[in-house]
Amino acid sequence: MSDLDKAIAQLRACRPIPENQVKELCYKARELLIEEANVVQVDAPVTICGDIHGQFHDLMELFRVGGDVPDTNYLFMGDFVDRGFYSLESFLLLLCLKVRYPDRITLIRGNHESRQITTVYGFYDECQRKYGSANVWRYCCEVFDYLALGALVTGCAADLPSTEAPWVGSSGMPLEPEDREFEIEIFNSANEVTNRYPRANPNSNTITSNPNPNKPSTDPPLPKSPPPTSSPKPTTPSKTGLPGTSATSSSSGSPGNSSGAVLCVHGGLSPLIDSLDKIRLIDRKQEVPHEGAMCDLLWSDPDEIDGWGLSPRGAGFLFGADIVKLFNHQNNLAMIARAHQLVMEGFKEHFGSGGVVTVWSAPNYCYRCGNVAAILELGEDGSNGGFVQRSNGDAGRKRALGESGGGGGAEALNGMTGVRTPGRRYRIFEAAPQDSRGMPAKKPVADYFL
Amino acid sequence: MSAQQIPNLNTLKGALRPGGRVRGGRLRDQTTSHEAGEDGEARKDKVVQQTDGDASMSRMSAVDLGYLEDPFARPFIQVGTYVRSSAIDLLIGKFLATDANKPKQIISLGAGSDTRFFRLVSQSPSLPIVYHELDFPINTAQKVAAIRRTPRLLSTIQSSLSQPEDLKISSSGDSLTSPTYNIHPLDLRVLAGDQSAPKLPELPNLSSSIPTLLLSECCLIYLSPTHADNILQTLTQRIIAPSTPVSLILYEPIRPHDSFGKVMIANLAARGIHLQTLQKYSSLFRQKTRLKNAGFVGGQGAADIDFCWERWIPDDEKERVAGLEMLDEVEEWRLLAQHYCVAWGWRNGEGSQDEDVFSRAWAGMESQRNDEGEDDG
Repeated sequence: MSDLDKAIAQLRACRPIPENQVKELCYKARELLIEEANVVQVDAPVTICGDIHGQFHDLMELFRVGGDVPDTNYLFMGDFVDRGFYSLESFLLLLCLKVRYPDRITLIRGNHESRQITTVYGFYDECQRKYGSANVWRYCCEVFDYLALGALVTGCAADLPSTEAPWVGSSGMPLEPEDREFEIEIFNSANEVTNRYPRANPNSNTITSNPNPNKPSTDPPLPKSPPPTSSPKPTTPSKTGLPGTSATSSSSGSPGNSSGAVLCVHGGLSPLIDSLDKIRLIDRKQEVPHEGAMCDLLWSDPDEIDGWGLSPRGAGFLFGADIVKLFNHQNNLAMIARAHQLVMEGFKEHFGSGGVVTVWSAPNYCYRCGNVAAILELGEDGSNGGFVQRSNGDAGRKRALGESGGGGGAEALNGMTGVRTPGRRYRIFEAAPQDSRGMPAKKPVADYFL
Repeated sequence: MSAQQIPNLNTLKGALRPGGRVRGGRLRDQTTSHEAGEDGEARKDKVVQQTDGDASMSRMSAVDLGYLEDPFARPFIQVGTYVRSSAIDLLIGKFLATDANKPKQIISLGAGSDTRFFRLVSQSPSLPIVYHELDFPINTAQKVAAIRRTPRLLSTIQSSLSQPEDLKISSSGDSLTSPTYNIHPLDLRVLAGDQSAPKLPELPNLSSSIPTLLLSECCLIYLSPTHADNILQTLTQRIIAPSTPVSLILYEPIRPHDSFGKVMIANLAARGIHLQTLQKYSSLFRQKTRLKNAGFVGGQGAADIDFCWERWIPDDEKERVAGLEMLDEVEEWRLLAQHYCVAWGWRNGEGSQDEDVFSRAWAGMESQRNDEGEDDG
């Protein structure tokens, strides 16, 4: 067993590794990360994860639900540290896995991977407490500076592979898979299907696994998980998609099974960035600045506004559906996946199909929020003779490998982006049970305003 | 003397309480091993008495970060404490500003180490106000001792008095009385007893006839609903004359039934804290109904802390607070803030010029709509 494998085993048991090993690990990790582009190219299949925030036992639950490394190819969208009690073990384990299996796990930077934020939100104190000095914190921060800013996932399948998983949705099985193409499938942590959504109008509503009734929308509702008392036949569109939408037209020129590329960033878009190449030009090897393109990518949030708005976080911006539509179109993207925002249902689709999805992977965040977590699986497109549509975000080179060239043009302007969105499989999971934590449960920090 | 100079009562506590420590394990330690000899009720009381530590620690952090003009120690981001204090200050400020020269009374239930009186008086020493704090003797003894040892606190009280010798401290050290500021050692449950019992506890300098504001910041919620309701009856019908204008401001957790609320209840229960009226008064609507049923029929309002932040705090102030640091807790903050409310209600008096003082003071206060499915009938 190599030293690295030993370190992995030790960290999997939630035990920190010695300082000199951390130093060595961080050195190796930097050597690896320095070779990565600002926007890492990732091939499907991939499982995309959101914020972890030091909730180590929940990270173990994530691996149980999503599969282990290297069996499953993972992409973590940042915020590994802060808030939870085990930022150190969580981040070092992910880093060990990165060094051990560099092609099977991708780590990109979140806004908490920063010196300033970690001194406020817990990681610095945790390192001090566990090692008696700030050395380990310093090594980790040096790694943070080398983390990529985003990832571009290509080669995704547009449809969802069939599954043997049992249906446990609340309405029987209302939708016959052979009749229609499903775009979204939701699994619980017992590997049972709890909901399915067929491909529909890309401009329709926001989806979550448990729609919030307090947020009325002016858009026509998508089929949502019907209440237990409702009719077993929800009013779903009878066709797989409307003419001129992503369901029937694609920049690939043929229905096929391929989908467009997915940009993954921690936060969102920036008014200073209109193309992926602009991201590629950033000199990322630095502390996260307080403003500017790099800051925005890690701090921004989608919102129901037109254009850009000021962020209540004091950093980054809010961006509306119109911004996303333009950006995705110009960069030939099918959608954007990001993390950064707590979502009670674990994931949220903003602005309809082809917009933005939020993935949140820290269940019962801060041990008090009561939310569930999610990971997003994007399947591999095996239908194109092994060709992968290489979208590189360059609008002038849209006709990429594997594209027929007949599509695109005006047709591609239709719908949100004119690019087929990947089939999306969300796996929902809850916080690891207390007794799995193997040590006395820590009392929640004094955090109710009594 | 400026508000910044008011010492932090909580840092003064450590020296007083044997083995007294700040945050982190204090509650747990004191409710288990070395107090195993105590009976269960006393233990439960102790847990409640010590929730004041949580609140004052939160205030400390909020002050440290520059949210509040009131002094305190490290480490959390406490917009919540800031909004809570600001919302209550706003309601109290409007009350004090209405017929500003006429005498008014504030009775703070379970006041703990709260320093509102000192803030009010240091801002305007000539306020015609009589302030009363009611709390467990163990808490009032600590507070009185802290005041005694702290010249600046004493001088603040004295600045509100025409004769400094009017300030009296009991020989037992747990009671402080004066024509302006009073600390009464009283287990509130004494007021929950038989409504027809002839004897009421002695509360020096408490007037039954001047307009009175009752304040319960996370106090009544620890009592059984019956006790909580009875205490309000005793206060508003017997201690304060039925013809006197009287109001109540509540600050309490709400919405225990959603997933955040359930975790909140479980987490607090793990620390031995039980919010006994939370199930009964679980929503804005139920809080308003409660106020009406308790005799505050002049009007009622309620808003959660998220609403107070959005609607009551002026934009420039919001910007100032948001600028104190990068706030990476927006969603969590909103969740948390939606689970605390400020509720207020009043009754008008009869036969005096200022009988409608609360109606006038709070006419413009913006209340929040009820949750879906809960309509005012």
